[in-house]
Formats: sequence, C-alpha cells, structure tokens
Amino acid sequence: MKERTLSYTLMVPAFLIVLATTLYPLAYSFVTSFREWDLTKQRRPGDFVGIENYVHAASESGFQNSLWVTTIFVVTSVIVTVVLAMSLALLLRREGRLHTFTRIILILPFAMSPALIGVSYRFMFNPEFGVLAKGIGAIFPALEGTPWLASPDLAMAILVITDVWHWTPYMTFMCLGGLASIPRETEEAARIDGASNLRIIFGIILPQMKGVLMVTAVLKTIFALKMFDQVVTLTGGGPGTSTETMAFFIFNVGFKWFDMGYASALAWILTAIMMIISAWYVRMLLSERKMATA
Amino acid sequence: MAEVRLVDIEKRYGSFVAVAKQSLTIENGEFLVLLGPSGCGKTTTMRMIAGLEEITAGDILIAGERVNDKPPKDRDIAMVFQNYGLYPHMTVGQNIEYPLKLRGVNKATRQQQVQDTAAKVELDALLGRRPSELSGGQRQRVALARAIVRTPKIFLMDEPLSNLDAKLRVTMRAELKHLHHELGVTTVYVTHDQMEAMTLASRVAVMREGRIVQLDTPRKIYAEPADLFVAGFIGSPSMNLVNGSVTAGRFRAEGIDVPVDLPDRDSVVLGIRPEELDIATDSSAPVAGKLYALELTGDSTLVTMRMGKTSVCARGPADFEAAINEPCYLTPKAGARFHLFDRNSGQRLDG
Repeated sequence: MKERTLSYTLMVPAFLIVLATTLYPLAYSFVTSFREWDLTKQRRPGDFVGIENYVHAASESGFQNSLWVTTIFVVTSVIVTVVLAMSLALLLRREGRLHTFTRIILILPFAMSPALIGVSYRFMFNPEFGVLAKGIGAIFPALEGTPWLASPDLAMAILVITDVWHWTPYMTFMCLGGLASIPRETEEAARIDGASNLRIIFGIILPQMKGVLMVTAVLKTIFALKMFDQVVTLTGGGPGTSTETMAFFIFNVGFKWFDMGYASALAWILTAIMMIISAWYVRMLLSERKMATA
Repeated sequence: MAEVRLVDIEKRYGSFVAVAKQSLTIENGEFLVLLGPSGCGKTTTMRMIAGLEEITAGDILIAGERVNDKPPKDRDIAMVFQNYGLYPHMTVGQNIEYPLKLRGVNKATRQQQVQDTAAKVELDALLGRRPSELSGGQRQRVALARAIVRTPKIFLMDEPLSNLDAKLRVTMRAELKHLHHELGVTTVYVTHDQMEAMTLASRVAVMREGRIVQLDTPRKIYAEPADLFVAGFIGSPSMNLVNGSVTAGRFRAEGIDVPVDLPDRDSVVLGIRPEELDIATDSSAPVAGKLYALELTGDSTLVTMRMGKTSVCARGPADFEAAINEPCYLTPKAGARFHLFDRNSGQRLDG
C-alpha cells in the first residue's frame, strides 16, 4: 500500500506540468469556443454565445476557403508522398553500397526544419535569382521569368512540392520497413510461378504492403492537416487566400484579428477532424494486429 | 519430366566459394536428395537450378536445353519452400490457381485443375481459407499443391518438412514419396535430415563445404560411406569411429582388438555401426570397456561404453540391464562390417 502511495506521489509533478501546459489550455480553449471574446475590446472572455461561433464557421467564407485549400493540399500531398515513398522503397530495398548511401542522404530533407524549407524554396523559386526558377527557365525557355509564387495554382503546387520533399524520406523508411517484413519466398515463388516484375509488385508485394501503406497514408494525412510552417515562410497564405490552410487561417483569426472565441471554435473543428482520422487509424492498427497474429 | 545436368557449375561470392566446381546429372524421374549440414551449398545448388541464384561458371541443362540465361519462369520448374512461400492475401484456392492464371490457362480448366490437385493432397475442404487460418501441415500441402498443379518438368523442394513437428514430418514424408511415385516427376530435394534423405531418395548427394563428397543410392551410402564425414553423418545413432593402428592383420586401440584385412599402418580409424554390435558377457570379447550410459528407445537399448577417451555405442535388446561404471563387453555380430578410414585424409581404405 505504501509503495503505491509513493508511486502516485512521484507522479504528481509530472501530472501538474501536463495539467498546466496541456489539459488546462485545452479545456480553456474549449470553453472559449462557446464565448464571444474580441481581444481588441475585452481583456477577459465575454458572454457565452452558445454554438454561435460554430454556426458562424459553417457560413463564413474565409473558413470555407481554408477548408477547401486544406482538402486540396492534403489529398495531393498524401497521394504524391505515398506513391513516391513506395516507389523509392522498392528501388532501395536491395542491399548494396549505393543503396545504403542513398538511404543515408535521404534522411537530410527530413532533418530540416519545415519553416526553413519554406524560406529556401521561396528563394529557389524567386524569378530574379532563384536556382530552381532559373534552372527551369534554362530547360524550358518559355517558362523563364514565371512568377511562380504569384500564381494561385503554382503557389499551391510549390507548397505541395515542399511538403512532399520534406516527408517522402520518412515515409520511404516506413515502406522499407514494411518491405523487409514480407517473406522473400513469396516473391521467389511468384517468380517461379511465372509472374513478371510488374505483376510481382502489383499482385504480390503491394497487397502484402496494404497495412503499412494505410498507416503511412493516415499518418501523412494527419501531418498534412496541420500544415502551417511552410505556409508562413513560403507563401504567407497567398497569393490572395489561395494557400491559406486551416491552421494558418485559425492563426490569423486568433492572433491577427484577435477573435479568440471564433479561433477556438475553428481549432476545435480541426481537432475533431483529426480525432476522427486518428480513431480510424487506431482501429485499423488493431485489426491489422489481429490479422497478423491470426 | 526431364533430366537435369549441371556441368562444371560453380558459385562464388567474392572470394568465398559457396559451391565448388563440379558436375552432377539428375536422371529423368529420379528423386535426388542433396544432403548436408547447413552452409554446405545444397540450397545454393538448388537455387541455381531454379534460376533464383546466378551461377558463377558452368552450365545448367534441363531436358538437354541450356537454361543459364533463362529466368525461373521459363525453366518449367516448380519449387516448394521451407517457409512455404504462400501468398498470404490469397485463399488456398487462389494460391493453387495462381501459376495457372499466370500462364493464361482459361478459367474453367483452371478451376477443374485446382479441384483435382486439391483432392490429391486432401485440401478440397479448405479452398476458401487463407493461409493464416491453416496449420503447418496444411500450409505445406498448399505449397505442394501449388507446385504440382501445373505438372512441371522438375520439382525443387527446399527443406519442405523442416518446419513441421516430428510426427507430421513422418506422415508428410510418406505422402511425398507416394506423390513422387504417382507423378514420376524428376525431383531435387534439399535436406539436412539424413533420415529424410535415406527414406525418400533414389540417390543421395552428400555435400560438405560446397562439394559433393558422395553420390550414391541410400543403401550404398549407408553400407559404404566414402569418407569419415559421410560415415559420421549417416545413421542414427551415428557410426562408432575409433582411432587406432593396424599391425599384423589386427586393428588395435584401447579396449579394442579385432581382425581386419589391411596391411600394417598407423592413423587408422575403424568404424562400426551400433546396430552391428552385440552385448557379450565374456571378458575375452574384442571390445571391452566400462558401461557409461543406458538409453531405452522402446524397441531397443542404446548401450554406451567407454574405453579411455573413446566411447562406443551398441544397440542392445530392450530388456538389457547393467550397472553404470561396471565392466562391459561387446562383440561384432556375425557378418558385421568394419569400415576403415585414413585418419588424416578421412578417405575410405578398404574397398
């Protein structure tokens, strides 16, 4: 009994820190989301307004736009990242010096801070002196001088490219791990049975990678939903509002326009979306495990 | 059905020789077992025949045709893997059907052949299940069915029974033997289990360090091992091997004195199988020592005795009893065969 008391006592400091830094702010923001609180007018949260902030979100064009931008960003970046990561993993799974070397340098993009990636890409796509902008111009003279980040579609494309560049290595390693767990015999058996290389990939390897690919896609979705850093440093949400992701929009509502009640409500909507995806992810993991032990 | 010829084949990984340069012909319809301890090159040899491993030098001919540069699928072979190699995302039926599907067999024929094959290996009731829902023995049957469904020229089996428990292994062994009899397809079978090799093979190739040290019928390999390695590897319990010398037509070592037909020489190893020794009561018996251990196996008792550093084992009657550390005597049975080897080269000395 004594030991139990001691162990709980030892946990108290950690609990207090979590309470102060996570639980309290979370609860506070949840309560705030049901109140009116314009920081430019009131120092303390104002009246309770029920679900008005949430109702407002359903019709407000800024949020609608950010929801649409985020959807496009998430769908394209997840698909491109997963396809690229799986393809790279298939190329890199063999043993060899070159393979090992490539795997090591593959780490580098992932080791970079997302905010810095945004800054570097903004420079690289500068039409005057950017190395990528100039390089593309040299290969395709028609594209020389294209204001890459000034066009809504191109800016979104570049945002997706930076994100794919950042995340593909990590996802490649996840796929490599998955590939390593596939018994080599299944591939050899298929080879003897008469399958072509493509058929082995699509008919034997990918079906066995289903679980890993699902996990990769869900994780990438959750990460992409939070996209903020590169938006700030690369496009600033522009041109116009064409790259304003949800996280970026919520930040603006809260800390540019100081509408804390509305910002809290939007943050909780984003959290809800992520929680739904996470719950689905956990359920999938559990069922995968069940299949693996069967 | 086809003959397989390996001509001067060799496999090297850098400077490491996995399979030394050698030739081997596997006759049409033969059941050839590659037998040896792990790392002896038996699986590599089989994988070279399958086309899963490139050969460093030499030629492989299947039915007279050189297949060195042909991919596995064009060699008309089927292989059974130690870990079964089943496709986990397909049902049993789909697993068996897959090789036919890849070869463009039409659906009706495919389904008929799957049914026939499944019936042959008693899987008909399990066609809708996934491999993960099957026992080890059932999985091995699926692997077999997938191999036999398209009647290839050659069967390659890489330790197919080693993941099964002892009892199931014996049953499956008999099934394999029956299947080979029924289909008559040339089979190459890799194992480290000498019992499997003895029971299944038409001929056994005993391998050691990348080389075939003896290629013969199981009977001949048991009766006349070519060297000390084969002598010690084949038979259970293994052959008694005693170091000594031959003088005046008698082999002598501590506690042993037996007549042999060999000119005088030193560094001789005498081999005699435990089943060819009888327990004697008479102290003038040619093998004398102290009883070391008694092990009842059911139908007989294994009697191990020691003479100095050497120990000798004999298979005695099941009801034999004696006290440990007491003097004990053995005598060769009538017609027992002594095997004589050179201790340094390991080679057989008598005919």
